[in-house]
Amino acid sequence: MALLEVKNLSIQIGNRPVVQNVSFALQPGDTLGIVGESGCGKSITSLAIMGLLQETVVRITAGEILFEGRDLLSLDARNRRALMGSEIAMIFQEPMTSLNPVYRVGDQVIEAVRQHRTCSKKEAREKARQLFELVKIPDPERRLESYPHQLSGGLRQRVMIAMALSGDPALLIADEPTTALDVTVQSQILDLLKELQDKRGMAVMLISHDLGVISENCQSVIVMYRGRIVEASDSESLFRMPLHPYTFGLLKSLPDVSSEVETLEAIPGRVPGLDEDIPGCAFHPRCAFVQPDCRELAPEIAVHGRRQVSCHHPVVEYLL
Amino acid sequence: MTVIFQLISGRKLATLGLFWLLLILACAVFAPLIAPFDPLEIDPVSRLSEPGGSYLFGTDHFGRDTLSRCIYGARMALIIGLGSVTISLVFGGLIGMISAYFTRVGMVLMRVVDVAMAFPALLMALVLMTLFERSVFNTILVIGIVYTTTTARILYGMVLKLKSEVFIDAARCSGAGHTSILFRHILPNLISPLLVQASFIFAFAQLQAAALDFLGLGLPPEIPSWGNMLSESRIYVTRAPWLLIYPGILIILSVFSMNLVGDAARDSIDPRFKDDIAGV
Repeated sequence: MALLEVKNLSIQIGNRPVVQNVSFALQPGDTLGIVGESGCGKSITSLAIMGLLQETVVRITAGEILFEGRDLLSLDARNRRALMGSEIAMIFQEPMTSLNPVYRVGDQVIEAVRQHRTCSKKEAREKARQLFELVKIPDPERRLESYPHQLSGGLRQRVMIAMALSGDPALLIADEPTTALDVTVQSQILDLLKELQDKRGMAVMLISHDLGVISENCQSVIVMYRGRIVEASDSESLFRMPLHPYTFGLLKSLPDVSSEVETLEAIPGRVPGLDEDIPGCAFHPRCAFVQPDCRELAPEIAVHGRRQVSCHHPVVEYLL
Repeated sequence: MTVIFQLISGRKLATLGLFWLLLILACAVFAPLIAPFDPLEIDPVSRLSEPGGSYLFGTDHFGRDTLSRCIYGARMALIIGLGSVTISLVFGGLIGMISAYFTRVGMVLMRVVDVAMAFPALLMALVLMTLFERSVFNTILVIGIVYTTTTARILYGMVLKLKSEVFIDAARCSGAGHTSILFRHILPNLISPLLVQASFIFAFAQLQAAALDFLGLGLPPEIPSWGNMLSESRIYVTRAPWLLIYPGILIILSVFSMNLVGDAARDSIDPRFKDDIAGV
């Protein structure tokens, strides 16, 4: 049984659909990458899994989110809260704002530890120290006493990871965990995540707009555009041969160190606003391979072997 | 001790303010020991005598010693200040926090606060006071209620902002419930603004109480308070100006000091103002 299974999830803000008919599954211990530009619905999908959507504005209109077979959306608040942190944990993009500025980081981790088990302050502190060691924070004893503003971005993100791990979750959702960090720290953090994942058999859902990050860390990848999955595949074949023109464009726009070309390739145009109505395939105005039928009929997701793509004319047609 | 040292280091005015407040505090606590006379003792022979001699601050129209009354007045100032600060922070704080956190409840509660805030503070205090008897407790209650609205309004805004912070989402992710989020994650972030607010309320409560006393709607007239002294002095202001000057100066200095200390407290209590930032 899949650890996490999202079935036909649709989410609206007001009357505008922001996520449409999204389905995917994540096996225990696996890593799933979700890629897409800002506003494609990747973050909101993860917030829906965590139950963090502001219900007054954002509505889940259809679908199921099954965690170990239980539908999270039909659980009551208390039972759902019991899963948070102990079964599903999340780390955020900006480690400065995700720590409470007025508490010492040690106290925050201790609090998180005590949220899920009854133990004395002393035991919780010891556990927090071990977690700090686990996420390779140097001099953990002293760092427990630091305030968030006294730590660098990388250390803060390590504290966040320590907090997320405090309940021994089976699933960790990482929403752009390295976007706010510089490149060297970024790779350290990703290596750390990978190592922890191997050690603990934890599944990770890695959300990013950085294809490099995804290719190194994920077994399978979902590419989203305007609230829909445009392509889902194992990571190796996706990077070897993208099927959807959007994925194709994304890969082509990656900077290549070995090439002499000075200008970066880019996908023309911009992500259309949520209020713009686009007939047919949502990507057609920017698509390099657009055909007449793309303008009229929105493609359904179709299975190509072990891969899925939502395009009338997958790139492979042109390459053959 | 270190807290106090941090508070006053490098702030000369705030240090002066703090010393003034400590002096007032000492007067309030040890009033019976310090005051040279009983503040209620009437001495008709030496009524309205000028400052100097055995009556350092002079006497009033009953021959009561102004200095002793000023010292006992510090007691009232302290009680009224602390009482109304407690009432307004507790109720205003709860109303503000709950309104911002549970938006539906807030829609109703904050409209009530809006209506209450539409009345000027003094007018509202006057209206409320006419409903109650003149007593120490009722004066505290009324001033507390008046400043509950401003506190609620200020905290409402802050909690609205705080609750959309990522660290609140992060707390929710680790399974924290509403009470835990409100009191363990949001409230500690409000301590420094609450302290500043407390200092302002403390200061304004003095002014408000003095105004109520002056208008004859505050503390019962037999209680020696600075406001009551002002109120009684106005008839004799040309013959015995010291009756007006001493309590007036006391009110002004205390209010000013409280504001200075409050500002200093705000700056020093916030961990973000501390400066040992560590590297990687």
